[in-house]
Amino acid sequence: MALAGISSLGQSDPKGGSHTRTPLQRFQLPVKFKPIGLIPFFGFVGLFLVWPAFSLFRLAIQPTKNSDISAMREAITGDYLDSFIYTIKLSLLTALLGVLLGSLLAASVLRIERPKWFRNFMTSFAGVAANLGGIPLAFAFIAALGTQGLITKMIDYFGVNLSDAGFRISNFAGITIVYLYFQIPLMFLIMVPAFNGLRAAWSEAAASLGAAPWQYWRYVGLPLLTPALLGGFLLLFSNAFSAYATAYALSSGGARLVPVQIRFFLQGNTITGKDNLGYALAAWMIIIMLITMTGYLFVRRRAEKWQQ
Amino acid sequence: MAAMKFIGKIWPRLYIAIAIVFFVAPLLSMARFAFQRIPMISLGKDNLFKRWTIDGLLTTLRDPEFSHSLSVSLKVAFFTVLVLLFLMVPTTLWVHLSAPRWRGVVETVTILPYVVPPIALVVGVSGTYRSIAPWFLASNYSLVPFYAILAMPFTFRSLDVGIKALDLRTLVDAAKSLGASSSRVMWNVLLPNLRTSLINAAFLTFTVVLGEFTIASLLLKRTLPMYMAEAQGSEPQGALGLGLLILVLTTILFTLVSIIRKKDSTSINVKNINVGMVP
Repeated sequence: MALAGISSLGQSDPKGGSHTRTPLQRFQLPVKFKPIGLIPFFGFVGLFLVWPAFSLFRLAIQPTKNSDISAMREAITGDYLDSFIYTIKLSLLTALLGVLLGSLLAASVLRIERPKWFRNFMTSFAGVAANLGGIPLAFAFIAALGTQGLITKMIDYFGVNLSDAGFRISNFAGITIVYLYFQIPLMFLIMVPAFNGLRAAWSEAAASLGAAPWQYWRYVGLPLLTPALLGGFLLLFSNAFSAYATAYALSSGGARLVPVQIRFFLQGNTITGKDNLGYALAAWMIIIMLITMTGYLFVRRRAEKWQQ
Repeated sequence: MAAMKFIGKIWPRLYIAIAIVFFVAPLLSMARFAFQRIPMISLGKDNLFKRWTIDGLLTTLRDPEFSHSLSVSLKVAFFTVLVLLFLMVPTTLWVHLSAPRWRGVVETVTILPYVVPPIALVVGVSGTYRSIAPWFLASNYSLVPFYAILAMPFTFRSLDVGIKALDLRTLVDAAKSLGASSSRVMWNVLLPNLRTSLINAAFLTFTVVLGEFTIASLLLKRTLPMYMAEAQGSEPQGALGLGLLILVLTTILFTLVSIIRKKDSTSINVKNINVGMVP
């Protein structure tokens, strides 16, 4: 299609005589007008992302009624602080496990050369699973590991009662397992190209210089993979930290995660005069995400520089 | 030593097998719950293959509330793709053609949606638009711009990668020197060459919008995920069946996209076009 379109250009254009005007100049603007074409983009982002985000901060630092400390301060005290610690712990744990298990999965899949379709199949599946989240994922795990779940029942058959052991699909351990369902595939997708970037010649060179396999990994492989591992960790952390739908559906809205807590304030079913707290919690979430994503961009810039 | 080698050969397979069980077991459990009319308590070896039915799913699919939520979701998804492409295609092309120095800025801005989690975005949105433009939030289509924001990071990346693979300057100059107008360059030269990126971004956006729950639920819009979450209480079998159906459809969509991507990967470069133009 592209070929046909382009090869017909020369013959069939009725006003083919634009040789007098130099076409290249017609397309170029003076330097100071260059950003003009970006106005719609910046306008759109400003209106629907930046403005709401900034208003959030403005509303969060407004003085609260019936309280002498600002909402921003109150959002990191007491129960709210506990919520943040809980959410950060969960995000750190699922990110760490995701990095470890996802990288191992990528290494394992790359080791298997036949059948040929297997690698593609795993990549496609990881693409689906990494984007899976929200309501269907929560449903699947409630059916598997909920109190009446199929897997719960199978484990019970072997004599281990999950709920007696304190396991609930909506508590810390439960949410961790569910989040791994999208964290592991995401890390897999990050690590496959990273592993492929390691050339066979490098391990051969190390071996011919007398390095043991562990020495190759310790001094060559791992340092080369560090940006991908670190960037992946930060991405997985932010992925878990901002997730809402899955945790909400798993716990029927009762989870202690910050995103689920924010919902109460937006619906307004709390003590009056504390509306600002919802804004403050959201503002703190943005601050934490800002730190994480800045770290991610920094790691990626470093990695790109190294590749060139 | 031989044992070491054996372990080295066997552990990747073992690990992959465990991983596959982890990823498939929840889906199978979901299928059993959705399609078998036996409560968990009385399920045993003897009735494992009895009373399988898709009635629950059919009841849900016949529910008028379902078709309403599906049509809301499809309309919102369609307009999101439209808005996003109309915004991002010219922007990305402009960055590459006229303002390459702004590429870094634009790229950073397209990552901003990751910095503002959907839950924070929707709190900010209701804090601003609710008082200034309540009519806007009342409409189902108020979801469109925010979903476009959510899809912006991967849309920009997809287009950026597609454009980098082209020799954009040469293509535009060649078409222009043959007398093509700017719109003709866009429609007959650039868009056909970017079709893989466009299809990629469009499909991904579509699936993201169909699955999005956070913003829709807090703005009280009756989209498909909202319907599923509510149906879980009234018609749980149907809700889970629907969830599974959506998963299967999404997987098919993803596979199609990756097939298109593979088929196309050879045709996107200037060399082919030059060869085509020699005679």
